[in-house]
Amino acid sequence: MSVPLQPADLDDTLRADVRRLLLALADTKRILGIRYSDWLLGAPSLEAGIAASGMAQDEWGHARLLYALLKDFGEDPVPVEHDREPEAYVSCDALDVPAEDWADVVALIAVVDSALTVVLEAFSEGRYAPAGARAGKMIAEEAFHGDMARAWVRSLAGGTSESRARIADACNSRLPRTLAWMAPDDDAAARLAEAGIMPTTDELLERFADRHANMFAAAGVQVPAPNREGWDAARGRGPGHPGLEAVERARGDLNRELFVE
Amino acid sequence: MKESVYDVFARKERGDSLQHIGYIDAPDDELARVYAWNTYNELNWFEMCVVRRSAIIAVNRTDGPFAGQGAR
Repeated sequence: MSVPLQPADLDDTLRADVRRLLLALADTKRILGIRYSDWLLGAPSLEAGIAASGMAQDEWGHARLLYALLKDFGEDPVPVEHDREPEAYVSCDALDVPAEDWADVVALIAVVDSALTVVLEAFSEGRYAPAGARAGKMIAEEAFHGDMARAWVRSLAGGTSESRARIADACNSRLPRTLAWMAPDDDAAARLAEAGIMPTTDELLERFADRHANMFAAAGVQVPAPNREGWDAARGRGPGHPGLEAVERARGDLNRELFVE
Repeated sequence: MKESVYDVFARKERGDSLQHIGYIDAPDDELARVYAWNTYNELNWFEMCVVRRSAIIAVNRTDGPFAGQGAR
């Protein structure tokens, strides 16, 4: 069995790689929570809205825990959470714009939320000890997100021709860039795999397909190849960034003067 | 989407009695699980389950909340 790695065991390069991964997870959870929160009211049913609310709170709670892991590197997570510009966010590209309708929300759960969980599980199973220690509760909570995704994809796919077309379009448009974000194919990802902290790029893609291909097939969607065009290796995501409005909400700008730590 | 009423039951600790804690509307069993958990997870339940109200068989009265809805 491989020996767990503590933060102090990492050299500067590997530390930067782990930091990029932590930020990718935390930023994605934070922006995903905002996208869910847009649908607390206006979902197809009261219960669906409550589920969106629960998932939004889960994602923000997980983001807080993940940002806190930066403390292991001597970094204060408060400015990371509250002071960064949109261009510094490492959130999944598919979240850069809000969901257009409920089918789009379901696609976010099915595509982005599922990809997040694949990464988080892999990270927790790897050698980086703090990830293994913190991820269990998060992964348990994510199980309900997965159930929500499967049930709603199946429901929309089995509904009207319009609902089937909408969920297929939404998944098809979100998948390629999400897969690139989930399974980077660059030097940092290779180093993390070499160190046993993460699986290889191909293994991550296989995990996603093994676990979720049936869900997408129900909507007539095949898991595509990642779209890596314009990959920004420094940040660990594709080109662009989440919109300012979402980042202002993520940072808590409106209530900044009321922020008490 | 046609929805059914599901009643939600939970117990706080192993060995506690199941309590009826509420109900939700859901189109199928899988979403009923998700909706029940998200709606009623304010407590740290040891166990939660849902049952479609139409599956409940009334035993001793015909005017209770579950009467007339289940199999006979």
